[in-house]
Amino acid sequence: MNDYKSIGKRVMRRDAREKVLGEAKFTCDVYLPGMLHAKVLRSTLPHARIKSIDTTKAEALPGVRAVLTYKNTIDTLYNQAAALMEIAEGQTLVMDQKIFDNVVRFVGDEVAAVAADTVEIAEAAIKLIDVEYEPLPFYIDPLDAEKQDTVNIHADKLHLQSAHNVPGDPSHIKKGDIEKGFAESDEIVEVKFKIAPVKQMQMETHSAVASLEDDRITVYCSTQNVQVVRGQLAHIFKIPMSRITVKNPPYVGGGFGIRIGLSGKAEVIAIALALAAKKPVKYIYSRKEDLIASETRHGGYVSVRLGAKKDGTLTALEMKSILNKGAYTSHGGAIHGTLGVMNTSLYRIPNIDYYGYSVYTNTTPAGAMRGYGNPQGNMTVNRAVDMMAKRLGIDPLEMRRKNATGKGDEYMLPYPCTSSTLAGCMELGAKEIHWDKRAEYNLEKGRVRRGMGMGIGTHFSGGHPFVLDYENAFITVQADGSVSVATAASDIGTGCNTSLAQIAAEALNVPLKKVYLTYADTSSTPYGYGSHSSRSVFMHGNAIVEAAKNVKAQILEYAASLAGIESSDLEIVDGIIRTIDSSRRFPKNIYARRIFLDQEFTPLGDEEFYSSITFTELAHYAHSQEKQFMGLGSINNTNAPPWYCSFADVSVDMDTGRITLNNFVGVHDVGTVINPDCVEGQINGGNLQGIGYALGEALTYDERTGIQYVNEIQQYMQPTIMGTPDMGAYYVEEKEPNGPFGAKGLGETPCISPVAAIVNAVCNALDIDDDDIKVPLTPQVVLDMIKKNS
Amino acid sequence: MSLKKISFFLNGEAKDVYANPGDMLVDVIRDKLGLLGTKVGCKTGGCGACTVMLDGLAVNSCMIPVGKVAGKSVVTIEGVAENNELHPIQEAMMEDGAVQCGYCTPGIIVSAKALFDENPNPDSEDIHRALEGNICRCTGYIKVEEAIVKAASNIRKEG
Repeated sequence: MNDYKSIGKRVMRRDAREKVLGEAKFTCDVYLPGMLHAKVLRSTLPHARIKSIDTTKAEALPGVRAVLTYKNTIDTLYNQAAALMEIAEGQTLVMDQKIFDNVVRFVGDEVAAVAADTVEIAEAAIKLIDVEYEPLPFYIDPLDAEKQDTVNIHADKLHLQSAHNVPGDPSHIKKGDIEKGFAESDEIVEVKFKIAPVKQMQMETHSAVASLEDDRITVYCSTQNVQVVRGQLAHIFKIPMSRITVKNPPYVGGGFGIRIGLSGKAEVIAIALALAAKKPVKYIYSRKEDLIASETRHGGYVSVRLGAKKDGTLTALEMKSILNKGAYTSHGGAIHGTLGVMNTSLYRIPNIDYYGYSVYTNTTPAGAMRGYGNPQGNMTVNRAVDMMAKRLGIDPLEMRRKNATGKGDEYMLPYPCTSSTLAGCMELGAKEIHWDKRAEYNLEKGRVRRGMGMGIGTHFSGGHPFVLDYENAFITVQADGSVSVATAASDIGTGCNTSLAQIAAEALNVPLKKVYLTYADTSSTPYGYGSHSSRSVFMHGNAIVEAAKNVKAQILEYAASLAGIESSDLEIVDGIIRTIDSSRRFPKNIYARRIFLDQEFTPLGDEEFYSSITFTELAHYAHSQEKQFMGLGSINNTNAPPWYCSFADVSVDMDTGRITLNNFVGVHDVGTVINPDCVEGQINGGNLQGIGYALGEALTYDERTGIQYVNEIQQYMQPTIMGTPDMGAYYVEEKEPNGPFGAKGLGETPCISPVAAIVNAVCNALDIDDDDIKVPLTPQVVLDMIKKNS
Repeated sequence: MSLKKISFFLNGEAKDVYANPGDMLVDVIRDKLGLLGTKVGCKTGGCGACTVMLDGLAVNSCMIPVGKVAGKSVVTIEGVAENNELHPIQEAMMEDGAVQCGYCTPGIIVSAKALFDENPNPDSEDIHRALEGNICRCTGYIKVEEAIVKAASNIRKEG
């Protein structure tokens, strides 16, 4: 596809060696001298006012250095999502959290924290805190909490609610005339989904180690965006951003959206305790805390009404979502906004009406998870399209060939569809799954029924213009000719610490081995938004390309001045600056100083002039003249739509309700592939997360007590290697004009459409038009579907 | 709680530690012996991030009281590479893109080494059984399994 030297190559990940040796450092591996350990007391009730809290016995325990409650902790209102640093002018910022409050709003809400010499002492101290609660009514289901006669879960912040228990603004997306669209249709299908909340289940729980030096705070933590956290901490603790350093150490054990912004309350509790105890404090969430008290994907209800003409032309799409916000807003409106805008953009439909909002309940707060609201709408719209296809006697693949949005089409997204290989992706996916066997499988009517389904989707490559999203990068050429790139990305497992280096090497045309990336550290990188929203390669990469252009211009100008020519007479190839016409222009004296002997040098002879000079020679000569090349790159106001499709081949046991995935295929349009290993890894991992979402992952609550049933990892049904089906990861490349070397987002997309494909495959296998679907499709749910439709 | 002197072999070296026999092995390895490659993912024996080899068997070190390892041999991720030479599974994981966030990687490598030590010719079912306790949320296990198959083949060639 291209003649790139670094881009598109299966370059080994730069962190691979450290990671296989067990030497890679995560936040849990940070140990500071005199460091204390924190434990948190959490609410046992889903909604209550704290009548009294007595910490005297805990404070008296030897080894306890600080005990904090709402009474003695800074009480700034904030929002733990990146929203606090991302909300654009004119948008509503809902700040409804404090580090500790005198009202608890879900089982697991933070009540008090202790810092002690050891983990054991901190644990013992927590048990010595006496709390008396006045219980308040609580709600598990958003359909209950939104009723007018219920108690308001944030009664003191009614000005931030657009309706009773509805924080922030609803999303309303309209196009054309929806009633006219249905009137013009020959067929109308309707479907509603009830979707369980699920967990990111990143392997490293939320973690932070905070330390103080005079008026400066340093915090190592597991966030996905260090610069955003620095802004949040400055707001919460009223300390200048310039006095706060936030860094990953540098590795983060997965993210999947769970720490876009603060890592739950890990950073704020570690810092509050460190300030109180005047010692470094480490706070690591237990897995139970991760399960009950760190953010989930939104569960809730999504319904779709779809109209089409007999020939399959779609005429109208009406969609509604009511999501469970849980106890605090966090990402708030952006989730139901994404749900709506993405899934009204998949198909060419002239008349659209979407209305969506999220409702406070007394469950674990819902926040961001890979896909960010998109999957909940994606499964619903794609299901409706399959129902319509069946009603009209059209193959679902054909239905999508006819209706899927393509390059240049108008859609509801606020950035143009500048590239799409979706059509090619669908053809490749259909071939790999053997879609032609679908009709044949469908004839089997025994105990085990086989079927196939598909789903398509789009997404974003960053937050613009939904939220603030701009990015910066510095490139410095050191005196030895090595290239230092600094940008505030976090590598949460995606491999961006390698792919961004590949982009820098390609943009400067230097060997990859000369490029070094500094990232995930506020003290050495410019401001930016880090790794979320499928933006790392797209936004950090674009900023790096801009910085490379800037530094390249400086290098060429300087070299040209030494050679007495114009910079347009020079080019850089493989880290060597040379005259395009091979004329000998560089005077011998600039090659004189020879240190850094392991670097590349021009072989010199008797001639007085030479046609090329290496990066090392030029950078070192510049250094001897008291000059350094430093490039700055900034990017804003850009986005691009990735496209993708999923295909599932399933067997359903009619007696047990058990689903077996015979094969699963994900095909992606990610623009240019920067690193095939990283791309395939993202697709495989995302596909399996989507498969888990479809088949078994769920968080459930005891309706009488509000307690989470799932509080150990063994109770959560994420797939193991045993449950992993045959999966194929494919891509169809096309350059995206706005992306770095044509790349666009990928991080989230692989886990968005698997549920759609699997639900459609199961309905196909069962030959049913179920209009009331529950996700996940556990054996019991499938048996109910069979019974209901028989 | 009084500390007891507990002696065992750690990555081939004799070690004495003073610990409460009920302390979990993972905490002793990390906090007392300073070997940080072994990771904690759940502390309930449900994720495999803390996998070590105990007398050759892969176990969750968060479930083993250190008192139980007296006189036994423990191998952690730091003991998998010998004489500065990476184990074939480490090589294969690096080369095949099987490492992503890396938090589960040490546990996966130790489980795989325990498998190879026992059975240098594992089939797909053997691999699945050996790795079933290791949760990985990044890779979908695809490249991990490819790396194990490749490493097994390389071990057989060398052997």
